[in-house]
Amino acid sequence: MPALARRSFVFHQWAPDPARPPLKRSLENKMRPTIETNNLVKQYGPVTAVTGLTLRVERGEIYAFLGLNGAGKTTTIRLLLGMVKPTSGDARILGHIIGPGAQDLWADVGYLVESADAYPELTVRENLEIMRRLRPGTRPEAVDAVIERLGLAAYARRRAGTLSSGNAQRLGVAKALMHEPQILILDEPAKGLDPAGIVEMRHLFLNLAREQGVTIFMSSHFLDEVSRMAQRIGIIHEGRLVQELAAAELDRVRRQRLLLRTRDQQATCALLQSAGYTAGMNGDGAIAISDRNAIERPDELATYLVNAGQPPTMLLTEQEDLEAYFLRLVGMEETK
Amino acid sequence: MNQLTQTIWVETLKARRSKMPLLTTLGFLVIPLVGGFFMIILKDPEFARRVGLISAKAQLMAGVADWPTFLNLLAQAIAIGGIILFGFIGSWVFGREYADRTVKDLLALPTSRWAIVLAKFVLIIAWSVVLTAVVYFVGLGVGAAVGLPQASAEVFWQGTLTIALSAALTIILVTPIAFFASAGHGYLPPLAATILAIFLAQVVAVAGWGEYFPWSIPALVSQGGRLPFVSYLIVLLTSAAGILGTFLWWRFADQTR
Repeated sequence: MPALARRSFVFHQWAPDPARPPLKRSLENKMRPTIETNNLVKQYGPVTAVTGLTLRVERGEIYAFLGLNGAGKTTTIRLLLGMVKPTSGDARILGHIIGPGAQDLWADVGYLVESADAYPELTVRENLEIMRRLRPGTRPEAVDAVIERLGLAAYARRRAGTLSSGNAQRLGVAKALMHEPQILILDEPAKGLDPAGIVEMRHLFLNLAREQGVTIFMSSHFLDEVSRMAQRIGIIHEGRLVQELAAAELDRVRRQRLLLRTRDQQATCALLQSAGYTAGMNGDGAIAISDRNAIERPDELATYLVNAGQPPTMLLTEQEDLEAYFLRLVGMEETK
Repeated sequence: MNQLTQTIWVETLKARRSKMPLLTTLGFLVIPLVGGFFMIILKDPEFARRVGLISAKAQLMAGVADWPTFLNLLAQAIAIGGIILFGFIGSWVFGREYADRTVKDLLALPTSRWAIVLAKFVLIIAWSVVLTAVVYFVGLGVGAAVGLPQASAEVFWQGTLTIALSAALTIILVTPIAFFASAGHGYLPPLAATILAIFLAQVVAVAGWGEYFPWSIPALVSQGGRLPFVSYLIVLLTSAAGILGTFLWWRFADQTR
């Protein structure tokens, strides 16, 4: 039964394709970031989809581009792929300004935009064969290799229109990877995948970036997912890049608070406020304290409460989760 | 050239795997079969009386059951039916990329957009020519099968030329339909444009200006009318505008689908 067939991604080093000449690049371009945008603006009539977007993605970096629906992620990706023209500013790949005529550039780029769509009456293999032929220089064996790599072997002869959303997504990623590009631009690559598929895809991208120096620019809705693989994260909201940070910085920038409970919550809260703490009741009935000295020295606070006759029955340092941080950043803070 | 070879291969595979070749062939085969039916009616007045209205219509359109009438009937049906059917083909070849949301996969490739659009036009023309040939040869078979009286080689030559010319004019008029499919992002705008073209062709022809309206001209040619050079020029310019518009759209317009 194909649906139950065991499958896994195959991680192996792909040999460079000798048939395909490397993209000619000047020394200056080699020094430049792999992907860059400079004050990029895109307006559709009165609607501003992207504004003032400046970002840099270095070679071998995984850059996650986060935003809510309609934030401007897909427009940015279309701008990066030359599908729409910027109203002002520019976007470059490997130092070359992107435009619809820059077709030589796309030999080194694999992409997935908006949704993984395929010709429904064609099989998985035929869909990939079409993409192979439209990417001159891609070896015929690349079709089988990418089918194996994305765990699609059991579905190779299936019509694309009959695939589950997860397998359709795998096919979309396969089309992006088949020609072994140096740059991947992927719009929500984990969309439609089950949890196991998400983990597999993460390992695949990490492997490509670490082992082969592939530069990956990916959009997502989910900060916790991309924080596990991206080196840098850009957060876009209403067309603007509201924050750009290294994934390693996520711990530092997220809010922390101290939660505590005592036998008499109201009295304790009043006590803490009179002692100068910023304390209040949270939605779960616990006392929340956001003062940094309390968060860093909960032992001293506990001692103070014991001495004041309100010994804590619970004391917990809580870090804002990634989802809450993201929502707070885009001004949609969850209210508890 | 190599890019074009590959894109033509790709477009052909997409068409072969679809039901459209079968459906369009079946649709176009109605022409010789109905034409043959009219000839049978015209040959046998007794039978014609029994079928009543259809017989009257057949006499209105044709006249006598012979090869010149039959070939002329085929030419007219191809010129008018072709606007619909070739329009369907053009709508499908371009519109399906939007309906299936696959167009985005064709836009950032080392293969140029020109090669992709050109391959689509090549496919549409080849497909339409094959359909016309099928109708023509099946028509010859049907004409022979219903026992039309022998005719000279000149009659066949003239009939064939008229069919070829009116079909060619109809086929090249599909290019604006391709533009509407591209700019309209799907099937509906080009199909609406096709229906509008047919409607206007009728109205304009009735008004007596048919030789200046592109979609009226193939039908006038199929009726054996002598048209001024400007009529052919109008068709060619309309087709060129369709090709240019489609190319420019794919090259310069924001591709948001």
